[in-house]
Amino acid sequence: MKKQALFLLCSVLFFACKKDLAPMSGCTDNTAVNYSADAITDDGSCFFFSTTPFIIETPSGFPEMNIPSNNPMTVEGVSLGEKLFKDPILSRNNTQACINCHQQNFSFSDPNQYSTGIDHIQGIRNASALINIGWNTSFNWDGSSLTLEEQAFEPVSNPIEMHNDWKVVESTLNTHADYPTLFKEAFNIDYIDSNYVVMAIAQFERTLISANSKFDRYLKGEAQLTVSELGGYAIFNSEKGDCFHCHGTQMFMDNLFHNNGLDPEPFTDLGLGKITNNASDNAKFKTPTLRNIELTAPYMHDGRFSTLEEVVEHYNSGGEYSLTVDPLMKKLGVGLQLTNQEKQDLIAFLKTLTDNNFISEK
Amino acid sequence: MKRIFVIFTTISLVFTACEKEEEIIEGCTDTGSVNYNSNATNDNGSCKYNLSINFTHTIDGNPLEINQMIYTNTASQNYSIQTLRYLLSDITLHSANGTSTLLDEVHFITISDPSTFNLDIQDLNSANYIAISFTMGLDSLKNITNNYLNESFFPSFSWPDFIGGGYHYMQLEGDYTTALQGYATHTGGTDGIDFSFTKHFPISLNIANANTIVIINMEINNWYSNPNIINLTTDGIMGNANKQSLLQANGIADVFSIFYPIK
Repeated sequence: MKKQALFLLCSVLFFACKKDLAPMSGCTDNTAVNYSADAITDDGSCFFFSTTPFIIETPSGFPEMNIPSNNPMTVEGVSLGEKLFKDPILSRNNTQACINCHQQNFSFSDPNQYSTGIDHIQGIRNASALINIGWNTSFNWDGSSLTLEEQAFEPVSNPIEMHNDWKVVESTLNTHADYPTLFKEAFNIDYIDSNYVVMAIAQFERTLISANSKFDRYLKGEAQLTVSELGGYAIFNSEKGDCFHCHGTQMFMDNLFHNNGLDPEPFTDLGLGKITNNASDNAKFKTPTLRNIELTAPYMHDGRFSTLEEVVEHYNSGGEYSLTVDPLMKKLGVGLQLTNQEKQDLIAFLKTLTDNNFISEK
Repeated sequence: MKRIFVIFTTISLVFTACEKEEEIIEGCTDTGSVNYNSNATNDNGSCKYNLSINFTHTIDGNPLEINQMIYTNTASQNYSIQTLRYLLSDITLHSANGTSTLLDEVHFITISDPSTFNLDIQDLNSANYIAISFTMGLDSLKNITNNYLNESFFPSFSWPDFIGGGYHYMQLEGDYTTALQGYATHTGGTDGIDFSFTKHFPISLNIANANTIVIINMEINNWYSNPNIINLTTDGIMGNANKQSLLQANGIADVFSIFYPIK
């Protein structure tokens, strides 16, 4: 008790002395962004951390997007994420940004079969299109990431992609002219930690929403489909074509993994099986959405098909037998037996899923 | 300070002791309940209990083994099972006094995720339950396209509008005869016809004093056996109302059974 009194007295003396020397005014609220520890009188200059919520509009026929509670969508976060997504600063030699392999014109995918990293090394898989991925329950062709935040860590440090070190990224961003302020505004942090980098990128990626294709307008009664497109729509939703089991609903995907009969054993790429260590998952890959499929060639996890015609022909021929091939693919040697007209109709329908606004928006 | 505390405690004790003889504390007095109140002197019927519904799958009475061509149906076809996913809805307990308790509106079960094999009900009222009922699939009021957007079985379980809309009731898939041939027993509301069916099992379940398990078993081979012998084919059956009707009849007959501990 005595000690406290002494301390109080000293404090008063200290401040009193200081006040005489230089009366300080400023923001005295320690919850404010511009709190000044030296200020004695509050001059009304306090401002507090606040962000503007970014509202995701859920398209018709889509569920609520599952947004992590620790990374709510904000205008500041999305804007920062977009800047990071397009900035080569994340790569070791400042030459490659996310957008180099996820190009907007191609629905945020890579038109090359394999993407080339900063050291001119290529991977073994085709870069996924980033479209409506806020509704995905796992990421990458093999499901190796369970959140967008987790996924965004990987390309930056992967030796065959941006080949950087997250410690280096942090130091580069913290000494940058603009980023410290932008991170302060988005997350109220004074030191840029890699966790906040991926949070911002994930926020931006959740805004890559496409639901304004000709097909969407048709569902709303605002557009007509041609006879061929309607024919394709019917085949798509029939058990003859059997596209809908994996690419169903207005999301045009099932959030699951399948072996669609691309290869016989032994498999060169185990896909999901390598992640789960379960042989029954070998050669299973994540179903991509068919939205904007016209724009995201080449196709399959390894980009082996360069046209939609080749893709349809693969399903039409029945595919290759292996232990894990999906039962729905098992008309081996028989296939779908579509006529040429039916194949053309199916492709015409797939092209109604193209959303030109999505690739032209800023 | 200490002295004051001692005096206060003494007064309190005296005070409580005097009152205790008349005071009745209402609450749950069953030590086996989840809300047992050790202070309660009078049971006011508020006791709550846990109940676990377990979903099991057998073929000819043996636990299902996936991806093995070891099963034979009544049509003498050998077959394996790779996928089994289904919906049970309106899982309900019925008590002796005529009230019913809805345990779950829709429960999705998939053999690839064992966490779906349990439905854990908490805070169930004490009662003598005399029946349990559930619907295989979704009745026509529920089986509507995009009705369950935020459930785990969306989007993968949807049923195209072209053949009636809504959701699959069941996806039972595997190989038959040879590993090169796949079958897909997909049931649902073909052409908008309601092929769901409700099973109602009498039980005698007094859950007071213990947490209880009720097992709902699906005997898979019976989908193909009684009263209708069904051949597996590579052709889809989602547009085949006749086959859906035959499967519905088999489902009603003897696909499901109930087990629960008898005290």
